[in-house]
Amino acid sequence: MKKIFSVFLCVVLGFSSVLAAATKPADKLMQTVRGALDLVYGDCCVESTIEHKQAKVRELIESNYDMTILIRRAIGRNWNKMSADEQAQVLELVKQLVVKAYFKGLEGKSRPEVTFDTTLQVSSKRIEIPSTVVLDGEPIRVLYRMGLMGADWQLFDIVAEHVSVVSNYRQQFDDHFRKENGAALITKLEELLKKDKLDENIEF
Amino acid sequence: MKTLNSKLPFYVLMAALMGASAQPVIAQSDADLYGDDVVTAGAVDDPLESINRVTFSVNDFIYLNVFEPVADAYTFITPDPVEEGATNFFRNLKYPVRLAANLLQGRFDGAWVETGRFAINTTFGVAGVFTPADSVDGFEPIPAEDIGQVLGAWGVSDGPYLVLPLLGPSNLRDLGGLVGDRAVDPLSQPFAVNESWNWEWRLALSATDVITSSPTIIERYKQLKGGSIDPYSSMKNGYTQFRNAAIKE
Repeated sequence: MKKIFSVFLCVVLGFSSVLAAATKPADKLMQTVRGALDLVYGDCCVESTIEHKQAKVRELIESNYDMTILIRRAIGRNWNKMSADEQAQVLELVKQLVVKAYFKGLEGKSRPEVTFDTTLQVSSKRIEIPSTVVLDGEPIRVLYRMGLMGADWQLFDIVAEHVSVVSNYRQQFDDHFRKENGAALITKLEELLKKDKLDENIEF
Repeated sequence: MKTLNSKLPFYVLMAALMGASAQPVIAQSDADLYGDDVVTAGAVDDPLESINRVTFSVNDFIYLNVFEPVADAYTFITPDPVEEGATNFFRNLKYPVRLAANLLQGRFDGAWVETGRFAINTTFGVAGVFTPADSVDGFEPIPAEDIGQVLGAWGVSDGPYLVLPLLGPSNLRDLGGLVGDRAVDPLSQPFAVNESWNWEWRLALSATDVITSSPTIIERYKQLKGGSIDPYSSMKNGYTQFRNAAIKE
C-alpha cells in the first residue's frame, strides 16, 4: 500500500511540476516584455546612455531566454558552414543587432501598450502566446512561440503580423550563404552595426 | 507521517526527475532547433533575382529620396486628423475592390460588412472622411481583401517573385490581381468614375492617394529594412509570408 502511495505521490508531484512549467511562461514573458519597456521608457533610466540601456535590455532578455536558440534556428543548417570562431562572432553580432533593431523600432515613439491573450497549447512541448502591441495608435499582432526545452520554456520564434522573424532571417542567411561565407557575413554584420548608429539624444 | 516526512526529499527529487524526464533533453539538437515549422530555405521562387535586385535598389533610392521627403513634408504640414481623414477617404473609395474580392471568394459576410461600412461611412462619415461604422456593432473594420487574394484562394500559386518598379514586392499571381484591382477601382481605367475629368484633376487625385498612404508605407518599409542583414531577402520573405497568411485568413 505504501509503495502504491509512493508511486502515486511521485506521479502527482511530477505531473504538477509539468503543469507549473506550463503556467509560468506567459507570466515570465509579460515580465520580460514590460521590464524591457521600463528600461527604455521608465524613470529608472532617464539618465542612462543609450549603450547602457541597450546593455540592460540585453541582460534582461538573456536572463530569461536563450537568444542563441532563436539565432541558431534562424541560421539553420548554414551554422555548419562556419568555423567555431565565426559561429561565436556571428552569435554576438546578431545579438547586438537584435537589441539595436529593438531600440530603432521604438525610436521617437511613445511607450507601446502591450496586452497578452490566453496561451494556446499547441502540443505538450509547444505553446503560443498571442499579444497585441499598440504602437503610436496602430495595433500590431505579435505571437510568441515557445518550446519546452529541458526544464524551461524557451522562445523559439516571434511572429509579427504573420511574418515569422526566424523564417525571415533564415531566408536572409540562406541567400547569403548561397554566394558567400561566414567571414563575409561577419563583415556585413559589423558594417550594419556601425551604420545608422543610434543617436545618443534619441527620444522615446 | 514520519515516514512521509523522512522521504519527502526523495519524493521531491523523484518529482523533479519525472518532470525532467517528461521534457526533452535541453535544446539545440538539430531536431529542437530546426525540426519543425520554419519556412524552408528557398521557399520563395525567385528566378529573376538579379533583375529584381536592381529594381529593388532603384525603388529603394526613390522611396528614400523622393517619397520619404514628400511623406515627411505631408506629415509635417497636415494635422493628424486631416491626415487620418484623407486616408479614410481614399480607403472608402476603394470599396468596390474589397466588395468584388469578398464576393469572388464567397465571403458573403465580408461583402455585407464592407457594404455596410461603405454606406455608413459615405453618408454619416461625410464621404468617408470619418469612420462612424467603426463603432457600429457588426460593422467594425475587417482585413481588406483584394483580387490577388482571390486568385490565391482559388488555388493559383504565387509564381515567380517580382519587384515592380515603384510598387515594390509582388509575384506573378499578385501582378494579375493588381490588374483585376484596377479593373474595379473607381479611380482607375477602364471603368473610372472620373474618366470625364480632365487629366490634371485625375493626376491630382491619384497623387494625393499616393501621398496620403506613403507615410505609413515608408515607415513600415524602413522598419522591415532596419534590422535586416539583406533587405532584399527580408522583403521577399516578409511579403510572401504576409500574403500567404492573408490568403489563408
